[in-house]
Amino acid sequence: MPTYELALMLRTMPKPELKTTLTRISHAIFNSGGIIRNIENLGFRAMPYKTSSHSVVHREANYFVFKIDTATQAVADLKEEYSRDVDIIRQRVYKVQEKADHKCTLEEELLPAAYREDVQKMIELGKTQVNRFTYKFKYNSGLDYYPFQK
Amino acid sequence: MALLKSLSIRNIFSITHRAAVSSLRNYTTPAVAEDDDSPVDIVNPYKKERRQCILCKLNITPDYKNYRLLSQFQSPYTGRIYGRHITGLCKAKQALVESEISKAQNCAYLPYYYKDKAFLKDPKLFDPENPIRSHRF
Repeated sequence: MPTYELALMLRTMPKPELKTTLTRISHAIFNSGGIIRNIENLGFRAMPYKTSSHSVVHREANYFVFKIDTATQAVADLKEEYSRDVDIIRQRVYKVQEKADHKCTLEEELLPAAYREDVQKMIELGKTQVNRFTYKFKYNSGLDYYPFQK
Repeated sequence: MALLKSLSIRNIFSITHRAAVSSLRNYTTPAVAEDDDSPVDIVNPYKKERRQCILCKLNITPDYKNYRLLSQFQSPYTGRIYGRHITGLCKAKQALVESEISKAQNCAYLPYYYKDKAFLKDPKLFDPENPIRSHRF
């Protein structure tokens, strides 16, 4: 089961109600055969843009991030279920990326253009193609007429 | 008097200089044959240090939940993401920053068309007026 991050924005509501909403959300995950790795509360704050959902305009939201492990097929069902939930303003699911071992290539990128690998590749590619600026039709091409409009 | 002084100073200098030179010579010549004047194979001492972008140097992976960091790569006037020629990031990190910013904007962590007022006084990671490569503008 791959790990997903479920970013949820919940509507403004008192704490006991928020608690029941969160339990409802997590039960949906358990029912679809998933597990919750952790729940992060990013707090209650003003949204950067107003959002209307279930015909109500929201300007503030409770931000939560669930880290879950579920089957890939179950994600669509979860999303559909949450889209019907009136307490959820907005939801996004992202796959958690594995940490890639990456080396900084800034030094190579700061080289003069002629020394950069991607530029050299472009030059090589250009050599294999017809240069349309210097190309000239050869009259001894076997045709006894000029095939294009003059 | 002054002449004497300068003379004595020069004397001292020459003596110390000689001593320094002799000590240096002792230090630099290893036990190998001294009369062998062939060039010695050493690592280039003038080689410049490898430059790294700021995120690679500090070993930071940009994350959409860390929207305060991401907002530093946004223009305060238009909310647009600054290009690689301004931010000075390597290609991979710049691509990651851009994708994470669009994620954060989608999750309503970051605004699209402006920068959060609370983050306007954050330290500047780069100067948009002095890009690494010249602007089109």
